[in-house]
Amino acid sequence: MSTDSVVDAIIVGSGPSAVNAAYPLVEAGLTVRMLDVGNRDSKYAGLIPDGQFSELRRTDPDQHRYFLGDELEGIGFGHTGAGAQLTPPRQYVCKDTERLQPIASESFFPLQSLAEGGLGGAWGAGSPPFSAADLAGFPIALEDLQPHYEVVADRIGVSGTRDDLMPFLGPTFALQPPVEVDSNGEGILRRYATQRGVLNKAGMFLGHPRIAMLSREHRGRLANRYWDMDFWSDAGKSVYRPKWTLDELKTFASFSIVSRRLVRSFEERDDGEVVVTAANVDGSGTELHRARSLVLAAGTLGSTRIVLRSMGHVDRRVPIVCNPHSYAALLNLNTLGQGVRDERHSMAQFCLVHAPDGHTRPFTVGHFYSYRSLLLFRLIRDTPLPVRESLTIMRHLSPSLGALILQHRDTPSPTKYCSLGAGEDAPLEIEYSLSASEQRRIDDVEAEITRGLRRLRCIKLKTMRPGHAASVHYAGTLPMSATDVELTTSRDGRLHRTKRVYVADGSVFPSLPSKGLTFTMMANADRIGCHVRSTLRA
Amino acid sequence: MVATSRHRTEPIAASHDAAVLHREAVWFARYLVDAVPSDALIERYVRADARVLQDAPTARDEAVLAFVHRHPWSVGLLDAGTAFMRGAPLLRKKLVVMMAVLEATPDHIAVTAPVEDAGMARLVWRLGRAGAKAAVKLVVGSALCALVVRR
Ligand SMILES: Cc1cc2nc3c(=O)[nH]c(=O)nc-3n(C[C@H](O)[C@H](O)[C@H](O)COP(=O)(O)OP(=O)(O)OC[C@H]3O[C@@H](n4cnc5c(N)ncnc54)[C@H](O)[C@@H]3O)c2cc1C
Repeated sequence: MSTDSVVDAIIVGSGPSAVNAAYPLVEAGLTVRMLDVGNRDSKYAGLIPDGQFSELRRTDPDQHRYFLGDELEGIGFGHTGAGAQLTPPRQYVCKDTERLQPIASESFFPLQSLAEGGLGGAWGAGSPPFSAADLAGFPIALEDLQPHYEVVADRIGVSGTRDDLMPFLGPTFALQPPVEVDSNGEGILRRYATQRGVLNKAGMFLGHPRIAMLSREHRGRLANRYWDMDFWSDAGKSVYRPKWTLDELKTFASFSIVSRRLVRSFEERDDGEVVVTAANVDGSGTELHRARSLVLAAGTLGSTRIVLRSMGHVDRRVPIVCNPHSYAALLNLNTLGQGVRDERHSMAQFCLVHAPDGHTRPFTVGHFYSYRSLLLFRLIRDTPLPVRESLTIMRHLSPSLGALILQHRDTPSPTKYCSLGAGEDAPLEIEYSLSASEQRRIDDVEAEITRGLRRLRCIKLKTMRPGHAASVHYAGTLPMSATDVELTTSRDGRLHRTKRVYVADGSVFPSLPSKGLTFTMMANADRIGCHVRSTLRA
Repeated sequence: MVATSRHRTEPIAASHDAAVLHREAVWFARYLVDAVPSDALIERYVRADARVLQDAPTARDEAVLAFVHRHPWSVGLLDAGTAFMRGAPLLRKKLVVMMAVLEATPDHIAVTAPVEDAGMARLVWRLGRAGAKAAVKLVVGSALCALVVRR
């Protein structure tokens, strides 16, 4: 089958990068067709009543359906890697990926998505912009991104404030006031206020995180209601999901979305068209879609697959980077035994920066999450004590428990690469390992952070390293490069050796600083969308 | 009660037998929250056990579970005795599954929800008591576990 009309742009994917690349094109009246597999949650959204987490636990007899899952998929053993943190209502985001996006690896087990909204349907909404130091090695500068940070911050709604983290998180742009910190986080921030001098001297800074979560009503979405249900439900739409932007895009006449399509490859024709081959995932056969330009935003691994297949690069290695990731389970002595407020949001309560060399040199960023909004059996499962006593202990300690999630920076190396084998359904083969010096740097940074945490009266109970791919921050496969090298992209996201094919997701980041990449990826996608818009108009 | 010989010779798949799982649900809930679970919770445990615990049990798991089936009073001790074992013993997994079932219902919320304002003195007392109980159980349970596994 061949679809008849030629559109201005085809966008592959509907995740954070895709919807933000599409926006400037659609807004300008250009015809945009989005091709996406588009899996959805057809079960849980309608099951979860409005209300506070603690109240639902006390009153809802059907809570087991969403807390444990209809297939009991919320009770898992042994799996601690990427995706282990997904609650049953969020697990649809990775449905079908094992079958349709196979990976072969001994060392790297990534989470991929074929969902409407992509992994953005489950993300933690941490949105720290990159600073000038974070962009070292990129062929673009902070000034190139800054206007797009502004636009995207307004589009998705980011809350935060000016505090000690300003030098690390960059100037304030269209920010909403910060969301409230919970009792657990407040206790640590109060202690920080008394220890600021010593901690800052040691290079440790605390402050409000930048989160794509509303503290004020915005674009038809509600301010967070502090129901502590953000891991389970999107009621009120306070936390940003790409679906909210997709819903806005659908109101434009020039925008269309074709779901249930798995894009396989593209081809540039001499007549100036790009032809995209897509398979219908519910049937057999393929169809062709034609456009004046193509924007790949299928997630780093998805876009890389499409590029390698389209350009005939069998077994050709491309680099990959991913933030090494660890969780420190913390007991906060500042609030032990004290009353806590039920009204809270579930996302990061504060952000920690470890920057012994100041903000112009690489630094490490962590986010603190309280252990609320989840059932205790997950903690009990990992505690080497009899289950009954473990229950007693966890019931008393959990209001003061939390996890500091650290993302360490990552740069390409010969031991981190992926390649695509021959054949239509060949898996993406990935090898990833850290060098001894990289691991040593991580250990040293974590040891220093642990010392700082002690001064904050936070005791580290355990460090968990859930595996190489567990940060779910994948990048660097088709890096932006100032020189025209095959399998790299220009500073405007155009795939070198093509005329009209662009890449707008994490693939184009040459390296990853110690921060979630998604907000910057969305800003960069907007930037690339603006560039495509001007080339199409020209 | 299930006969010893049967458990010595039959694979643990037999423990997916609904009647056995029903009994387990009752023993485990009594151990964990001092209460008899409703029929709905028992059914949920039976379903969860079948869905979540599909790995083949080891000989050690078989021995421990067979002992629990014969002597339900031993659940707590064997739970403690297996707490430090590598590879998450089946009994512990089953208890965690039951714990999840008991947590995700309003029925037992009074004994499963976080205690939010115990005050420091009460907190220290309760944690100390739980810690001491756990320590005694670990010692006795490890000895019992060694016996059960060796038999
Ligand atoms: C639990 C969790 C928490 C996270 N928290 C944070 C955080 O706090 N901060 C942060 O910065 N990042 C976070 N992330 C990472 C973030 O979700 C990803 O970086 C982001 O979603 C990537 O966006 P993307 O648009 O590039 O790709 P994806 O979100 O992976 O979306 C890919 C899209 O492409 C489509 N697609 C893929 N292949 C094809 C194909 N061949 N044909 C058609 N369509 C295709 C999919 O259907 C999907 O719509 C988190 C992720 C998870 C899972």
